[in-house]
Amino acid sequence: MIKEFTKGLFKENPIFVIALGLCPTLATSTMVINALGMGAGVIFVLVCSNIFISLLKNFIPDNVRIPAYIVVIASFVTIVQMVMEAYAPSLYAALGVFVPLIVVNCIILGRAEAFANKNKVLPSILDGLGMGVGFTLALTLIALIREVLGSGTITLPGCVITVPVISIAPMRVIAFPAGALLVLGLLKAFFQYREGRK
Amino acid sequence: MKNVIIIAVKLAVICLVAAFVLALVNGITAPQIAASKAQAELDALSVINKAGTIGEKVEGDGAGVNYYFPVSDGGKVTNYIMSLKSVGYGGDLILLANFKTNGEVIDAKLMEDAETPGLGKKAESPEYMVKFQGTGGDKPVPVKKTMLDAKDADAVSGATITFTGVSKALEYGSEFAKKLGGQK
Repeated sequence: MIKEFTKGLFKENPIFVIALGLCPTLATSTMVINALGMGAGVIFVLVCSNIFISLLKNFIPDNVRIPAYIVVIASFVTIVQMVMEAYAPSLYAALGVFVPLIVVNCIILGRAEAFANKNKVLPSILDGLGMGVGFTLALTLIALIREVLGSGTITLPGCVITVPVISIAPMRVIAFPAGALLVLGLLKAFFQYREGRK
Repeated sequence: MKNVIIIAVKLAVICLVAAFVLALVNGITAPQIAASKAQAELDALSVINKAGTIGEKVEGDGAGVNYYFPVSDGGKVTNYIMSLKSVGYGGDLILLANFKTNGEVIDAKLMEDAETPGLGKKAESPEYMVKFQGTGGDKPVPVKKTMLDAKDADAVSGATITFTGVSKALEYGSEFAKKLGGQK
């Protein structure tokens, strides 16, 4: 059972191994705080949609399952958006357009289709948590590398750490979308290499 | 045929439940969202207003100015705080800006936007607005990158559309302040 949780962290990491949800990864990994906020939103939506899709798997007719999943997912995303705007307006302002875009994050639909509609509720929760945490870890790692090299800072909730030396002349390209692709490519190559050695 | 109806009904049930839940959450969060927006504007007003008393809110011209507050010092209007509307890269921009009666920008703050995090979002920081301060009166508002110092031009690269949106709004506000010219 615990394997359903841990597989999402490294072995089947959604970003580095399955390569799902790359658009939000490239877009929100500019700052560590954005990565954490996006990760929290994705974990919540993923766990909730996995629970409901697992519960409803016998109710949802097979030939309209994709629209049904999208309705469930979009509802949770809208809830996250409204709650975030009400109680964490600064985070909401920072994430901007990427919160509604969680709807089209392929990780969520992918897990609904590949896991939640075939399994019971508890494994689905663990799967959602594992995949969500794996996504957040990967996103935070990319954001950390990009923010340190690209801007010379580390922005955490409530404080900003300035990295000496780098902050004087940061590598601006790493902060741009092209830099996200470079960092992601190198990390994916590293994971591939690690996988190949086993 | 019967099968199609069952599918349609099931899908409709899922949508109805979803709509009901969303209406409920909206009912709970909407007042909170309105309150935090009003609070943010109050905070911004107090940051942006350097001196004088803020007067009654006046409706704008329906184009670039949403509404404005005349600020008076000893019975005489010295400056205007305006809510300005513009378009950026990700959608509408709402700015709050303080102008002298001759159109000079005292300070500005980006209130609402949907710009790209790490690029256009930088316009939300107070440092971003420093390059506009003191312009609009004797000096023109910098609306092109070439009108900026090399250092400032570097800071807006990668987010030119945001910069254009912000500067056009401030230019419009500056002209509007000149037109008002000290009236309430």
